[in-house]
Amino acid sequence: MQYSQKVLDHFMHPHNVGKMENPDATATEGSPACGDQVTVYLKVDEEKKTIDDISFLSYGCASNIATASIITDLAKGKTLDEAKAITWKDAMEALDGLPPVKVHCSVLAADTLQTAISNYEIAHGLKEVPNFGKDTIVEELKKIIYPQVGEDIVTLKMVKYVGFTDGEVLIDMNMQSFDTWRENVAEEIREHLEKYPEVKHIQINFP
Amino acid sequence: MNGKIYLDNCVTTPTAPEVVEAMQPYFNSQFWFPGTFISTGEATNAALAGFRKTVADSLHASPEEIHFTSGGTLANNIAIKGILGAHSNQGRHLIVSVVDYPDLLTNAAYFENQGFSVTYLEPDSEGFVSAAKLQSALRPDTILFMTTIVNHVVGTIQPIAEYKEVLAKAGHKVFFHADAGQAYGKLPLDADALGVDTLSVSAHKIHGPQGVGALYVRQGTKLAPLIHGVNRFDPLQNGGISIALLAGFAKAVELTFADLDATVRHLRGLSDYLLERLEASIPDIELNGPRGEQRACHNINVSIAYIEGEAITMMLDQYGITVATGSACASQGLKPNYVLMAMGKNHIQSHGSIKFTLSRYTTREDIDFTVAKLAEIAAALRARSPLYQTKTDLEK
Repeated sequence: MQYSQKVLDHFMHPHNVGKMENPDATATEGSPACGDQVTVYLKVDEEKKTIDDISFLSYGCASNIATASIITDLAKGKTLDEAKAITWKDAMEALDGLPPVKVHCSVLAADTLQTAISNYEIAHGLKEVPNFGKDTIVEELKKIIYPQVGEDIVTLKMVKYVGFTDGEVLIDMNMQSFDTWRENVAEEIREHLEKYPEVKHIQINFP
Repeated sequence: MNGKIYLDNCVTTPTAPEVVEAMQPYFNSQFWFPGTFISTGEATNAALAGFRKTVADSLHASPEEIHFTSGGTLANNIAIKGILGAHSNQGRHLIVSVVDYPDLLTNAAYFENQGFSVTYLEPDSEGFVSAAKLQSALRPDTILFMTTIVNHVVGTIQPIAEYKEVLAKAGHKVFFHADAGQAYGKLPLDADALGVDTLSVSAHKIHGPQGVGALYVRQGTKLAPLIHGVNRFDPLQNGGISIALLAGFAKAVELTFADLDATVRHLRGLSDYLLERLEASIPDIELNGPRGEQRACHNINVSIAYIEGEAITMMLDQYGITVATGSACASQGLKPNYVLMAMGKNHIQSHGSIKFTLSRYTTREDIDFTVAKLAEIAAALRARSPLYQTKTDLEK
């Protein structure tokens, strides 16, 4: 398992790194417990709705720093709508790929950018605070990468059922008992969902 | 070493040039397997007896108690499965600690699956597993206690003498197996005095070749055979073993044990110096595991706050420096180091942990260069870290 030269370049010499004074929007995703956390800061031109400046801070491994660096490169100068179309796959491509166990880093970087944009739009009345529901849960599950193959668990059809009633999340997973990533995936699911105040309890079932 | 600085010697060590030289004839003119009556086979018998005596002396054991194996893991398996295979009719309860070497823990899990019951002892905050905990875990059906004499992550030296006392008072025979992979050549080991029934060592941790080790089996201890096959070198590991590797192993033992006190003093001096330089050069750094004589002489493990270990090791690698980390991001299973977590460290301390393990070839210049680079790296990564930013914001 090796990093591409692009990953190493962005890791050793990251672009757009550092705290921004008076940003128009910011977002922090991930948690130190999981070993990765990213903060993204945005300066937005209110008229043109373009990202004039962007910077990040990262607590995490080499690919965490590199993916955050590349995501800021990809977003800089773009309109908000253009930036909203940037996905973790774009970040991965721009870095000439990532080892499967590191794909989740690109998801975190892309996710933090999207949350920062969303925070800007909500603060400027460009969109409403979305209602929490089953769709929100599925969107979160799409951000969880199965480390063995580097693809998300929804695309891989590892999620059999998602339910949400009265703060209770119920998820049925399709992962074999000998799958050593079970615990890891369950932990990620909890981490992604526990941040929502609407979620009171999470039940994850494996066959 | 090609201008590289290698500080991950608990995993494997560079083979000593003297060892490579000692192995050479056994690849060429003296390649024979052991045999009887014919001069070629007898020559190998004689060589083998010499190698066995050398290794036996290093453990204050008799040559009959030394069994050569193809490495430490195989030695551990031959011992554990051998003891349980031969004696499980006397009890089916094992004791091990959660901070033991994976060889022991995976064997414990294997036997748990086979219906044995296992007690997992917890360490204290410095990685020590007390004899009192062993005492309270003993049961009438306890058959085996396993320990790792020197912890492979934090270098903690376990209280073996106290274990021996506890086991002696158990009221029935409890077999005692020790993994001495990290202890061998780092502290004096007298197999008989330690009270162990079996003890495993490995050549490549002391500048011997990779792929060879030994198992001490106390005289009179019965082990069920793990490996069945043709008896060439050793009845406990049937089949072939490389005579050249055994020659290299013996040479490495000679080099290490010619003056063990000097070897230990050298390593202790270096690791004390490393820790002193680290603590003087990098703020917010903490030692994991004990300080001083209760720690193996070649191990320093620290946590560097606010930053993550995989990034640190990657950056050190760019300068040709090899170290290890307990970060989840650097592990195959994306899990923080189990030893540090069992010691009560939090995720951030484990993710930010760096392990340095030194060898006879480590120099003060290596340490100076490594610490200087690490101080730069820590500052650079902290400048990028949201955790460090939060801390400095709070201080303002």
